[in-house]
Amino acid sequence: MAAQPRTLRFEYPNYLQEPRGIWSWITTVDHKRIAILYGVSALFMMAVGGIEAMLMRAQLMVPNNHLISAGIYNELFTMHGTTMVFLVLMPLELGFFANFFIPLQIGARDVAFPRLNALSYWVFLGGAIFLHLGLLQSLGGMPDAGWFGYANLTERMYSPGINIDTWVIGLMILGVSTLLSGLNFFVTIVNMRAPGMTFMRIPLFMWAMLVTTILILLAFPALTVGLVFLFADRFLDTHFYQVSAGATPILWQHLFWIFGHPEVYIMALPAFGMISEVITPFSRKPLFGYPMMAYSLVLIAFLSYGVWGHHMFATGMGPIGDSTFAITTMLIAIPTGIKIFSWIATVWGGRLRFTTAMLFTLGFIVEFTAGGLSGVMHASPPVDLQQTDTYIVVAHFHYVLFGGVMMGILAGFYYWWPKITGRLLNETIGKWQFWITAWSFNATFFPMHFLGTLGMPRRIYTYAPNMGWDFWNYFESINAFILGFAFLLFFINIIWSTLRGEHASADPWDGRTLEWSVPSPPPAFNFATVPMVTARDAFWVRKYGGLGAHGVAPAIAGGAATVPVGAPAEMHEHIHMPAPSLYPLIFGLGVFTMGVGCLLWIRLIVIGGAVTLMSILGMIFEYPTFGKFNPEMIAESALGLDNRKLGIWAFLGSECVFFASLISTYMVYKDRNLGGFDAMILNIPLTSFSTFILLTSSLLMVLALAAVQRDDRKWGAIWLFGTAFFGMIFLGGQAFEFTDFVLQGLKIQTNLFGQTFYTLVGFHGIHVLIGVCWLLVLAFATAAGKIGKDRSLAVEIGGLYWHFVDIVWVVIFTLIYLMRTVKHA
Amino acid sequence: MEHGHAGAHEVSHDEHPGPGVYLLIAAILTVLTAAEITVFYVPALRPVLVPILLVLAAVKFAFVGMFYMHLYYDSKVFTIFFGGPLLLALLIVLGLLLLFAHLEGVLSFMVP
Repeated sequence: MAAQPRTLRFEYPNYLQEPRGIWSWITTVDHKRIAILYGVSALFMMAVGGIEAMLMRAQLMVPNNHLISAGIYNELFTMHGTTMVFLVLMPLELGFFANFFIPLQIGARDVAFPRLNALSYWVFLGGAIFLHLGLLQSLGGMPDAGWFGYANLTERMYSPGINIDTWVIGLMILGVSTLLSGLNFFVTIVNMRAPGMTFMRIPLFMWAMLVTTILILLAFPALTVGLVFLFADRFLDTHFYQVSAGATPILWQHLFWIFGHPEVYIMALPAFGMISEVITPFSRKPLFGYPMMAYSLVLIAFLSYGVWGHHMFATGMGPIGDSTFAITTMLIAIPTGIKIFSWIATVWGGRLRFTTAMLFTLGFIVEFTAGGLSGVMHASPPVDLQQTDTYIVVAHFHYVLFGGVMMGILAGFYYWWPKITGRLLNETIGKWQFWITAWSFNATFFPMHFLGTLGMPRRIYTYAPNMGWDFWNYFESINAFILGFAFLLFFINIIWSTLRGEHASADPWDGRTLEWSVPSPPPAFNFATVPMVTARDAFWVRKYGGLGAHGVAPAIAGGAATVPVGAPAEMHEHIHMPAPSLYPLIFGLGVFTMGVGCLLWIRLIVIGGAVTLMSILGMIFEYPTFGKFNPEMIAESALGLDNRKLGIWAFLGSECVFFASLISTYMVYKDRNLGGFDAMILNIPLTSFSTFILLTSSLLMVLALAAVQRDDRKWGAIWLFGTAFFGMIFLGGQAFEFTDFVLQGLKIQTNLFGQTFYTLVGFHGIHVLIGVCWLLVLAFATAAGKIGKDRSLAVEIGGLYWHFVDIVWVVIFTLIYLMRTVKHA
Repeated sequence: MEHGHAGAHEVSHDEHPGPGVYLLIAAILTVLTAAEITVFYVPALRPVLVPILLVLAAVKFAFVGMFYMHLYYDSKVFTIFFGGPLLLALLIVLGLLLLFAHLEGVLSFMVP
């Protein structure tokens, strides 16, 4: 091992030691503790998902097997996919690794919005539990329509039980959690980098997470809209996906895969980043082609939005659609190839250390490349048509998601575990785990290529003998159990090493990035002083910069090497960390209760909503600097901008995709309406008046902001009340319009026009309603003298939301109302 | 992207325009909205209804975004944060319209 920096005893308790007690964990807003909560939850779910997989393999081990029923098998493959995607891979990558290491790698003390971080976790936990409510026998059963939930199998008439309800609502809840995490991490990486840490100096894991958060912000809204339609179909008796009503189930596929393919990269890119971090210290070389690696991540993300159709070649998109998606899919192999060659070039000529983390990294490169190559194969529509719904597809995505992503995650565990817990994972057990995994994974999934070629379809619970499938199914099942044993070793290693593992130094791997400059485990505040970054691989340069690789490393600011015993007591006292809060947990409980209310008892929705609202108000009032300008924070930020303002803009960007999905659905379905009411019912004079009202409210909003900014609280309050009043007039107009339509006979269930119109305009109305409530809070606070020039940011952020609602209406008024007679609008 | 620590410019609300500009924008928005409604009711303009309405809506959208939401005055980072997703949203709308138009045979003339 190369020369280590001087490590001095660190006198402060680490984040695991203080504060103590269960309550401190429940109310924590420390990103590291929240990461641990995510990690424990996701590892538990990993065990659940793994057991589900082994049950499926046990069923498929021999032909004509009746170990489990067809219905249970459907539930197993549905929950295995849903669990692994939403409750294991994403939470481990985002909630666990990213949460823990984003601040540590960029030299920050926490994430941009610590309470939001805790809130995301509790909402996630609620969503995970909700998804499994079907386990309660009295409620019915588990979701059973596949992790993709293809319509119209998911409609009430084909899935009458509670199964799909828990899936729809559970995914909505998880979506909220993921979106908030994505927003939080995005702002953190963009604006909380340490001084000197430019974008071309951040660790590649940070690049991967930056791109991943953008994908989350812009992909999840499409899924949300798809789920909203499905929810409406199941609970409000609409027909968004029913052919008999003129609709098409293909709409669900489009919305799902507009989310779903970026989702693949939401899972893959963090793993790319993790192995990029692991590969350098164990090759003892800097990462080859860093700029191209970063640009490739961006290019992959961009292209990932244009490839969703390759999941739908079998639906008949036509030659133009097929060709377009085939080309974009093949193009995405280019940046991916750049990454693979860069990893190989990093290893090439390096002084390799075959630690367990490095073995899993090399395993990732081999297996992901194999999965990527079969992906290129699927990019060809005629080939794909032969392979759709066969076991070749199962082989492909397991090579990507297990051989690739899971191996990357395991590499991350072995690499970062000492930083997280202060103890090394056992290398002997780790290497056994790797070799058993490498064998059993390939032995389980590679033969699936053969089975697929032999015509074995996916998602069948049993098969007849003598179809040529017997041997490979038996072989795969045996190896699946061996793979399960490999994970048992992993869990044993985690428990044993946490209790009795070798103590780790601050920098056990001779690392290159800032997290290795702080003690293992780190203190709650991460860095005693914010580090100054002068180059890429900041810690490595600090250690060896002027002295060569074998010289004695100079100290790094804020790290274990620089905190002299006894000296920085005052320094510690000056670090203000966010106070713990119970409200994130209450928020999570409120959301969970609302979900249960949808299933069982409608009054629970009101109770849950009240609890959620109370928690939001609680968070506002317990936050002493709410809406205050913080010049110190702005000056210290990477872009010189306020985190909260960046956050609201990122949120509004995400909302663009949400409304785009709603608007496209309206336009697509407009001409598929099977008679009855159509857009000619729309009341143009009334909505013209409403449009003027809303535009005027925007004027009042900016006048309010201008007044508050010049500390004129009286006029600030007047204009804010005026804005809210105009918003209420708009809502009154909408209520009148809706009531009039209902009285004429146009209900949301009536036809395609009714359901798309009410959904789109209704969601805009809900946004206006939220805006009015927000404005009233601001108006009363301003009238009470609480908001003046120093807190004008609160008004500015509320105003940005209000103007966004306004410009969405500008679009709706034109496309839906004024262009009502236009065909294929 | 410029790193903002050293001498990071504090985004000051003093840079925002005053009520005069806001009133001017409000007047323009009112005129544009009146123009939209007028175009809607003039039968002679029916053949060019779609492009006119789209242009007017785009201009209104831009005015609100630039002046009321201060994108014209604030850091360009915000424009990127909003403009990028907006572009993606437009592409999604266009993509879905084209794909469904094919499904209904509207684009069949394009198929060789």
